[in-house]
Amino acid sequence: MEQISQQAIVKDIPRLGLMDRIDIMKNKRGFPLVFPLSMLALLAVIFHILTGGEFLTLNVLKGVFNQSLIVGTMAIAVSFIYTTGNIDFSVGNVMGLAAVFGVMAYQVTENMAIMILVTFLSGMALMMCNCALGVIFHIKSARVAVVAMSVYSAFTVFLVGAEPLKVDYKICKVLEGNFRYIAFILYFAGCILMYHKTAIGRKLRFIGGNAVCAKQTGINENESIVTAFIFAGIGVGLAGVLQILRTGSIAQGVGTGMGMDVMLATVLGGMSIFGGAKSNAYAGFIGAVTVTVLNRGLLMLGVSSTLIQGARAIIFLLLVFMNSERQSTLPSRQQF
Amino acid sequence: MSAKGEVLVEVRDMCKNFGVTVALNHVSMLIKRGEVRGLIGENGSGKSTVTTIIAGIQQASSGDMIYRGKPWKPQTSLEAAREGIGIIVQEMGTIPSITVAENIFLGDYSRFLNGPLINRRKMNAEAAAALEKIGVTDIDPSDITAKYNMEQRKLIEIAKVMAHDPEMFIVDETTTALSEKGREILYHLMHQAAADNKAVVFISHDLEEIMEHSDTLTVLRDGNIIDNIDKKDFEPNMIKQKMIGREITGNYYRVDTDGYGDEVVLKADCITTMQDLLCFNLELHKGEILGIGGLSECGMHTLGRALYGLEDIVDGKVELYGGKVTVTTPESAFKNGMGYVSKNRDTESLVMNAPIGANISSTGYKKNRGWGIFISDKKERRYEQLQVDSLAIKCTNVFQPVRALSGGNKQKVVFGKWLAADSDILILDCPTRGVDIGVKASMYQLIYDMKKKGKSIILISEELPELCGMSDRLLIMKDGEVTGEFFRSDGFDNNQLIDCMI
Ligand SMILES: Nc1ncnc2c1ncn2[C@@H]1O[C@H](COP(=O)(O)OP(=O)(O)OP(=O)(O)O)[C@@H](O)[C@H]1O
Ligand SMILES: [Mg+2]
Repeated sequence: MEQISQQAIVKDIPRLGLMDRIDIMKNKRGFPLVFPLSMLALLAVIFHILTGGEFLTLNVLKGVFNQSLIVGTMAIAVSFIYTTGNIDFSVGNVMGLAAVFGVMAYQVTENMAIMILVTFLSGMALMMCNCALGVIFHIKSARVAVVAMSVYSAFTVFLVGAEPLKVDYKICKVLEGNFRYIAFILYFAGCILMYHKTAIGRKLRFIGGNAVCAKQTGINENESIVTAFIFAGIGVGLAGVLQILRTGSIAQGVGTGMGMDVMLATVLGGMSIFGGAKSNAYAGFIGAVTVTVLNRGLLMLGVSSTLIQGARAIIFLLLVFMNSERQSTLPSRQQF
Repeated sequence: MSAKGEVLVEVRDMCKNFGVTVALNHVSMLIKRGEVRGLIGENGSGKSTVTTIIAGIQQASSGDMIYRGKPWKPQTSLEAAREGIGIIVQEMGTIPSITVAENIFLGDYSRFLNGPLINRRKMNAEAAAALEKIGVTDIDPSDITAKYNMEQRKLIEIAKVMAHDPEMFIVDETTTALSEKGREILYHLMHQAAADNKAVVFISHDLEEIMEHSDTLTVLRDGNIIDNIDKKDFEPNMIKQKMIGREITGNYYRVDTDGYGDEVVLKADCITTMQDLLCFNLELHKGEILGIGGLSECGMHTLGRALYGLEDIVDGKVELYGGKVTVTTPESAFKNGMGYVSKNRDTESLVMNAPIGANISSTGYKKNRGWGIFISDKKERRYEQLQVDSLAIKCTNVFQPVRALSGGNKQKVVFGKWLAADSDILILDCPTRGVDIGVKASMYQLIYDMKKKGKSIILISEELPELCGMSDRLLIMKDGEVTGEFFRSDGFDNNQLIDCMI
């Protein structure tokens, strides 16, 4: 008996298979940040080489950044909602309608500040409206989003009419540079801080991971979801402002389909749109930049844009499939 | 043809690793017909791993198996079940969103095909028969499984396994989810199978139980088979030592008869819930460990939930600190220094996909603040690591998802989460479920330390020894009412307690 208990147990050092290695890597802490960033860098370098050194230039990169700004901002915004396991793809239309309100306010007052303020506030108000429907009436937010999407886009079409609404393009030019960057950076930094450095993001993740457990740990689900929608509202409002400034005009179809772009960006950035424990606030932005890099790079290589659209759809489906946590129907260790 | 003692399953030199974690290290064992084989070992020693591999839920990294004289390599648990090997898993083995009958015949629906449609009536009737076969009559097979509580779902799972008439079945840490009655059913099935020259593998952390019900015991430690012991050689201390690898000293339960304070910190004032409780009164004092026992259906689990604001209270109220606070929601309970460990670990107390660390620090968002509302990473890490160390949670690091842990280690995470919260009032519903004896001893010590610090604890449990060992005062419940109140200072008498239960 003594012998057995004293006996040193010698274990083989396990031979790690590929899946084991991938698993170990995935569980590393920095993985959700490092992996998508490296993929992005890799993509950029590949395009740089394929285009014969034309991709990694200041001009192209600036263009990429500008182009990703709106979808990126919205993706950051929506990540708060996705984290809780709720899906809201009406954000594109919310942004569009907010921008319409902003431009209309400008046409009445001719005041840029008021335009920005109105856009912001209407973005937030509309998001809160989605939130209230979901939280108060306990409607699954995906269903709310479907209704909201059609209502908002109908409104937009009604308000805009056939001709795009215009603002003074000169003023847009003035605000285009620094204002945009500063506003975006402030929002991005603010979100990262609040999401990753305070209890807010942790609670949202907890709710997304297991709402029952979150409740038993003293987390108020409704309160957290309202907070999420507030952060999302700010971002969507900001995106509306950026949208106006970009072209100085708002057309009927503004924001349509952008909800899907945002989802694509989120998934490409390495986050699951089903939320939960591994969510974060930056995946969407990285993903948005990745999408733009892909578009830009392929265009520069002379690939037709229809083909790019098709490729995008396929990539999206593939990623969603890989992202969904496969629940086997059999009792397994994973199931609980 | 199948003689008693004939080898039914042979495991040869099996290894299993998860990344760098070695769960099984060259394990070989023989399982014979006509025996109940006990499997015992510390949390994370590989018991579930080896049995789930035999039952097809996962596959080994290397090594092979022989079943009924032929190579055995099941790819799914369905395949194993069809071939006669069933398993009652440690986690939940039923799917909540489908009916009871669908669960019982999961993957076997083709039997009931009537043209392209499933003959529901036939399926339900056979499911009812399968349930009746194990002596359960109060479950309706056409109901959605989610309607039933944890114990009933376990019984459904048992019925499902038995419906296949297995040559061998595995019982993985199931008894802690069952009440006395459910346990009797299971023991009976086990011994019946052994008598019919089938084989049973029985996993439990309850030494007394496993010694009573198994014919041979296999001890696993750290992925290695340490020994096989025959019934005639069973001796608790020897088994413990083989399990842990060293002698355990010190007391299991507390030995003092220290009293507790006069101040009432929690008071249930004639509370009535939708189910179980009708005008229930209870007082908990400062520094008191209040044990609550009874049969599973006696309402004690509902009581725990109600005190923490998890049940709708139709009438009456739960007050804290002499009426200063009324508990209405778990949020208000938590904010006012309460904590609650649910019996339903996997679905209520943990986020399976979240890291161990994130689960533990979920109780410490306020405490771990550094500057303003910002959380200090350093404090949070310390908060998590402290629990991992003090409870010896077996993991590679705090970033590992909880789902990768063994059952007992998951339980330690839940306990650690609330230990770290340093709550003033802690409601523990079966806190030692599935943990090994070594860890149990340290949990008891930690509970006792909390008492010493003036914390108040409600300990709800189905294990009488645990209740007697730890409580200052012990309430026995039956049908939602207290039928007996006993004090540590008077000594607890088992027979008296049991009388109050039934
Ligand atoms: N999916 C997984 N990923 C990583 N590690 C795992 C996984 N499943 C099990 N392990 C590890 O394998 C080891 C053995 O686990 P196993 O579940 O077999 O223990 P056990 O003996 O059943 O313990 P318990 O008494 O707590 O149920 C543990 O260290 C566990 O962390
Ligand atoms: Mg186990």
